Amino acid sequence: MKVSYFQQVPYRHFPNDVGQHFESVVTPNYHELTEERHVVSAYRDALDECMHAARAGFDGIAITEHSQSSYDMIPNPDLLEAALAYATEVEGIQTAIYPVGRSLGKSREPLRVAEESAMLDCMSNGRLVCGFPVGLAYDANLNNGIPPAETRARFDENLDLVLRAWSERKPFAFNGKFSQYGAVNIWPRPVQASLPPVWVTGLGNPKTMEFCISRNFGFNYFGWFGYKLTGKRIFDRFASIAEQLGKKPNPFQIGFMQQIAIAETDAEAERIFGPHIEYFFRKGLGAIPLHRMMLPGGIDIRGLEFVLRDPSDFGMFEKFRTASLKELIEAGCVICGSPQTVRDQLVELGRNYGIGNLHAMLQFGSMPKELTMRTIDLFSSEVLPALKPIWENEYEHHWWPERLGGKPLPLEGQAEREVA
Amino acid sequence: MPGNSAAQHKVTVWNGHVQLNFQVKGSGPALVYFHPAAGMRWDPFLDELAKSHTIYAPEFPGTTSGNPYDIHKVDDLGDAVLIYEEAIRSLGLKRPAAIGQSFGGMIALEIAAAYPEIFSSLTVLDPVGLWRDEAPVVNWVAAAPNELPGLLFRHPDSEAVQAALAMPADRETAIQATAQMIWNLGATGKFVWPIPDRGLGKRLHRITAPTLIIWGDLDAVISSSYAHFLGGKIAGSRVEIIDDCGHVPQVEKCAETLSIVDKFLNRQSEPV
Repeated sequence: MKVSYFQQVPYRHFPNDVGQHFESVVTPNYHELTEERHVVSAYRDALDECMHAARAGFDGIAITEHSQSSYDMIPNPDLLEAALAYATEVEGIQTAIYPVGRSLGKSREPLRVAEESAMLDCMSNGRLVCGFPVGLAYDANLNNGIPPAETRARFDENLDLVLRAWSERKPFAFNGKFSQYGAVNIWPRPVQASLPPVWVTGLGNPKTMEFCISRNFGFNYFGWFGYKLTGKRIFDRFASIAEQLGKKPNPFQIGFMQQIAIAETDAEAERIFGPHIEYFFRKGLGAIPLHRMMLPGGIDIRGLEFVLRDPSDFGMFEKFRTASLKELIEAGCVICGSPQTVRDQLVELGRNYGIGNLHAMLQFGSMPKELTMRTIDLFSSEVLPALKPIWENEYEHHWWPERLGGKPLPLEGQAEREVA
Repeated sequence: MPGNSAAQHKVTVWNGHVQLNFQVKGSGPALVYFHPAAGMRWDPFLDELAKSHTIYAPEFPGTTSGNPYDIHKVDDLGDAVLIYEEAIRSLGLKRPAAIGQSFGGMIALEIAAAYPEIFSSLTVLDPVGLWRDEAPVVNWVAAAPNELPGLLFRHPDSEAVQAALAMPADRETAIQATAQMIWNLGATGKFVWPIPDRGLGKRLHRITAPTLIIWGDLDAVISSSYAHFLGGKIAGSRVEIIDDCGHVPQVEKCAETLSIVDKFLNRQSEPV
């Protein structure tokens, strides 16, 4: 199993009653609620934590993207990944540079995405893994002004442009519906001969799964909704779609993000992390109302019927603001406990659901740097060694850079284009 | 569905790529009704109008049950205007009257501005399409579902509004109707997101049809201050403000709205 350290950059100093004044974490007034020094330290701490994780032996550093949001102040993960690409290259650390959330349904400048990614691949000398989600509704549509009914079509077109910009040998004209370029000829190009591996994040939409399987992209799923409620549904669905498409399942094609809190004992973990977990779910992700995640036009009409018949894919989502720590732990929204507890649950989770890539979210909510560093240390010494061997000799990892031990396949469609 | 059910009339346009469904009901001179963002729905206002007019109500591409993906063939508002004009022409409608509510009002205004001769008269009820920074239009597509009735209506608990909001009793039918309504808001939302202003203001001077502008005085989606602002941009237009009324006068103040519309339509049909 490949285990990435997963980072967001939340504002960590909100007053307790912030949730009563704002309906969502994407609407609070910046100047009323922040202190400059806390914003400055958020970035320094996040990069320190990422470097600490890289040195501790994590396989990658995965960073998300959210525009105009207080719970993740990263409008572009490539900025942080650039700093990490340089620093890890200098120190000779073999870890993946993994901007996991560069949303292509949201991007109005897809060529810039292709260029930035190519730059990161050069700066890290072939260690780039690209996460290209379609995009969350509130982010792509509310924050970036894309009509919800266009998000998916933009994603398809933008991804096509990025892959062609990376791979075509000669300049070409791109006549898209959403962007047009007279000549695409980006400098630099990625160093990875088989191009950086592409991952797409989904919430459970069968169309996204089908897309990943048929195009041979990695599929990421984030477990905040509570893996004990949603995991089996989501991964069974992925497996059945793979079977329908006649593809052999490979755990390395699946990535899973899990929030994890770890201390010497279960009781200690709950005592230390309880307030930070509640901060994350009440003042972070959980404070985004569901209607901001499901804007009309963003979900296919058949998907709407599916969700209205059975809303279980959203797991704990609607209870986030009021759920107790016990309920969050029981649902699996967070795995919280001693090294033994965390290890057992993650091994079971990885084995049962066929997960070959774990994104371990070890900083969340109001957690200060010292506590995050301690969590990274405990996780890397007590849990990581038990996870890495999972699936290792059973499958080949086709969605990971060659320089980091992956066995990439040529991207779907690339071969035909070369022939043509 | 109140009254007799409507006939369905499908018109293929856009070089065979888009099929527009017209719901047709009533008798008398032709009247094209452009529905609001949530889709076509018959109400007592339309039923009453159908007693004196043949109502042709086109369903916006993508909002027809069973044909959701036509919306992906309409890239921008210009496409939508051409598609509608093509359909009205292919039906052979000669200078019909036009009525449009909210999103449908914007569509009617756009068509009338692009084709000044197409309608004999134009009635718009709380139309969107304009924007002033001092009176921002609320993004109804992004509103929480439980806040929508309060946003659309001055008196959401009234009998008329409750009847308009009623959902089918059968669970599966209600699920399909809800999904269709959400999808419709997304399909029409494509042309008003995130700000319902695609430049209509600079085209309004082209409208020559006699125009009636009706507005609920307490419209919480687009303030009634837009009524005279719009009226000032259309030569010879008339503005009527309806008291104690929200965004949908035809539902909340049906009788009053009908009386104003009837008089206006009758005047237009009088020989000059």
